[in-house]
Amino acid sequence: MARSVKHSANRPPTPDEDVRDSPERDELTLGEIINIKLVESGEKENLMELVRDRLVESGWKDEMRIACREHVKKKGRKDVTVDELIRVITPKGRASVPDAIKEELLDRIHNFIRSAAL
Amino acid sequence: MSNAEDNKPSHDQLSSQVFLDLVDSVIADVASECHRVARLGLDRDLEVVEEELRLSVEARAKVADPSNNLETNTKYVVDIFGQSHPPVATEVFNCMNCGRQIVAGRFAPHLERCMGKGRKARAKATRSTTASQNRNSRRNTSDNNQLASGPPGFEENVRRT
Repeated sequence: MARSVKHSANRPPTPDEDVRDSPERDELTLGEIINIKLVESGEKENLMELVRDRLVESGWKDEMRIACREHVKKKGRKDVTVDELIRVITPKGRASVPDAIKEELLDRIHNFIRSAAL
Repeated sequence: MSNAEDNKPSHDQLSSQVFLDLVDSVIADVASECHRVARLGLDRDLEVVEEELRLSVEARAKVADPSNNLETNTKYVVDIFGQSHPPVATEVFNCMNCGRQIVAGRFAPHLERCMGKGRKARAKATRSTTASQNRNSRRNTSDNNQLASGPPGFEENVRRT
């Protein structure tokens, strides 16, 4: 496997590409495969746009913005970081997605996975 | 990165995962947007405006109730430069017509009398002497000429008798 190992560099030899080329998908999880397929087919982008539209029209985004503003008021607007805001609103955000939207999205994703024949 | 379970995750789990992934992306978008607004102070304008409103209301209350001498200067209002103006102009100067010393606030009425422009103000001085002749001579000449040409009523009286 190691054709020319330069011991001057103290690192394990770069694995050869040839060995990995065979469709041995052990390294990639099913979830990752699906993600790749979603992106490649363009469906991921469609879903993103759909989710965004639905969440905006349902007022979810406004609720999230209010939650952010509340947190900013508490912390003082100069100290706030993006990570902090994400951390603060994610639990609430995930929980407050309206059921109808969730169903619609899950439905579409399901169909995609099925049609991807995995 | 591998999944926690070894066996294949069900379609439901996969779908859920994808869905959560999407929602997380949107959450990150919202957080980023709010962060930007907060740091740039765009949204806070609302609070700043409220603060300014409050201050202006306070200021207005303070002006209505003058903070300079409350007892004496009740009519004097302080302007934005901090100067106070009396309601009647108090400066004194000389009238260019008669040369007298006039208070600026009373200058207009003075000029009316001084220059003979007013209706009754000027005629007041001569009314008493020529009052009767005025009544008689109204048909003849104008008032101004009556003194110069002598009592015009004389002719009238002569004619009558």
